[in-house]
Amino acid sequence: MAPYTGIPLSPAELQYLHTSLSQNPPIRPDGRSPTQFRPLVAETDILSSTNGSARICFPDGTEAMVGVKAEVEKTWGGGQDVDGERTGQAVEDEEMRNAEVGAAKSGRGWGEWVEIGIELPGMRDDDALPIFLSAMLTEALLADTGLKDTLWINTRFHWRLYIDILLLSQPLSYPLPLLSLTTHLALLSTRLPSLISERDEDPLFNDDWEASTHLFPRSKADGGSAQKPPITLLVMSVGEMIFFDASADELAVADAVVALSVTQPLQPTSTSATEAEILPLKLVALRTIDPPSRLTAGGVPNALNSTSTTGTASTGNTSTGGILAIREKDQGQSVWRPPRGGVKRAVVGRMIKAVVEKGGVGMEVMAGLAGVET
Amino acid sequence: MPLDTSTYALAHLRLDGRRWSELRRIHGQISTQAAADGSAYFEQGNTKILCTVTGPQEPKRGVEVEMNVAAFSGMDRKKRARGDKRVQEMQYTIASAFQSTIFTHLYPHSTITLNLHVLSQDGSLLACALNAATLALIDAGMPMSDYVSACTVASAPSSDQTLDEQDPLLDLNGLEEQELPFLTVGTSGEEGKVLVLLMETRVQVARLEAMVSVGLDGCRQIRGILDGVVREHGRKVLESRVS
Repeated sequence: MAPYTGIPLSPAELQYLHTSLSQNPPIRPDGRSPTQFRPLVAETDILSSTNGSARICFPDGTEAMVGVKAEVEKTWGGGQDVDGERTGQAVEDEEMRNAEVGAAKSGRGWGEWVEIGIELPGMRDDDALPIFLSAMLTEALLADTGLKDTLWINTRFHWRLYIDILLLSQPLSYPLPLLSLTTHLALLSTRLPSLISERDEDPLFNDDWEASTHLFPRSKADGGSAQKPPITLLVMSVGEMIFFDASADELAVADAVVALSVTQPLQPTSTSATEAEILPLKLVALRTIDPPSRLTAGGVPNALNSTSTTGTASTGNTSTGGILAIREKDQGQSVWRPPRGGVKRAVVGRMIKAVVEKGGVGMEVMAGLAGVET
Repeated sequence: MPLDTSTYALAHLRLDGRRWSELRRIHGQISTQAAADGSAYFEQGNTKILCTVTGPQEPKRGVEVEMNVAAFSGMDRKKRARGDKRVQEMQYTIASAFQSTIFTHLYPHSTITLNLHVLSQDGSLLACALNAATLALIDAGMPMSDYVSACTVASAPSSDQTLDEQDPLLDLNGLEEQELPFLTVGTSGEEGKVLVLLMETRVQVARLEAMVSVGLDGCRQIRGILDGVVREHGRKVLESRVS
């Protein structure tokens, strides 16, 4: 008797789903195309006590809310650099960026200034899933060095960003894309009060919230397009076919599930930036995730069917070795067998291309989320 | 500050411009989450709580309450430990209040789980939680004897005046809760049968009666609001079915 895995599908149903998803063109249970996302509801700026907030509801009922808070923190060991070292670095930065403020800031951010906390209902903070999810989201966020530099105030103080993610419903399917999209939206709406004080004195900010600046600015003053926070998408594969926004049923028959984190690089600041010159997205992280299909129970091949009188098991060899040999020979042809092994490089390559290319899924999702922002 | 009597004594207006008997802006919605058996969202001023109900389910544990205070809910970001005593006490209070209201004899071997998510807190946390839980249970179709409505009351701001000059304050926000002694009262039914009465601060005993009676009246007002929310939702459901 196989252990209960939370997937209420029989081997016959799993085989049916797997076969229909491996067709070319594939047939998804709800008739979507492989790159089509289900409609979702998103809203921002819902919590007045946070610097930025967002809430996204997926159509299967899962809902997540993210609140971003920023606090000023004293930089450990700040302002005590050796003079020569500091001027040397400043000279280098002058050459890399034209803006004076940019020269003072670049290269000084630290990863500890961003903290992500995840609350999943019914799970403790030290369970595997929350820790893994928060590690993946932090990794994607910190891969973008621009964010760390935005949090720098002066040599003695910096902003500490707390991103708290709440999953408001039970996790029906793997919650990573939901949490990542909600975090992206919350970060887009995050604002920091504008700085009044100068250089290294104690930071003083403008009380007027209207004067606050976005953490991820809409557009740069010099005309280049804005930097955006990363998003993590879950891509699954069945044989040679790849699918986006997989429902719980589809994940139950996946051969491989991959989490891809992408971010939008700073666009070149040329005045004649046409569509053709927009850079593709940058891949910052790629991780494989154990698909839930590996926990499913395999079906019983006809040769082993002891209830039917024509099966050989009712007459002959019932040793474990024999049973195993018959199952292996079947190789999942006649009945469902949980997938084994890894995923082909070519398939992973196609997954990356589908997300990262211009006009691909990644850009579509980012454009969709950018539309939510008021 | 409320205890600084100069501003209050002049116009009898609180910091947010309310008089002693005025409630904050109250807003409630039910059926906010399709995936839960019952769900509700309730706001009392800036205190915002989302409640979901799951159940009845197999193992027999009666009414279980889990309250999750988000780290971004207060002014400062503060991540609570799992076994936080204040939260545990609130959970127990809410569970016992509903244990006596819900007809649990109809579900003899079941657990009814209430999940409260505090999204923003600005005073009256327990009261708002009770109200949100009531709405969520009604959305889940749980048979109850009546609405459970709750509110907070503070004793009069100055400590030396005679009793009849100062009225207790109804429905406190965060700042007032820190400064003044207050109690939370939760009632059930139109006649105001008291289910919850919680006070963590100290007050002169002569003022208690006035505070409780103001609280009962406040609960009656809130019960009216809860009823309005449920009826409005019912009307919408009926309209969409009939047409």
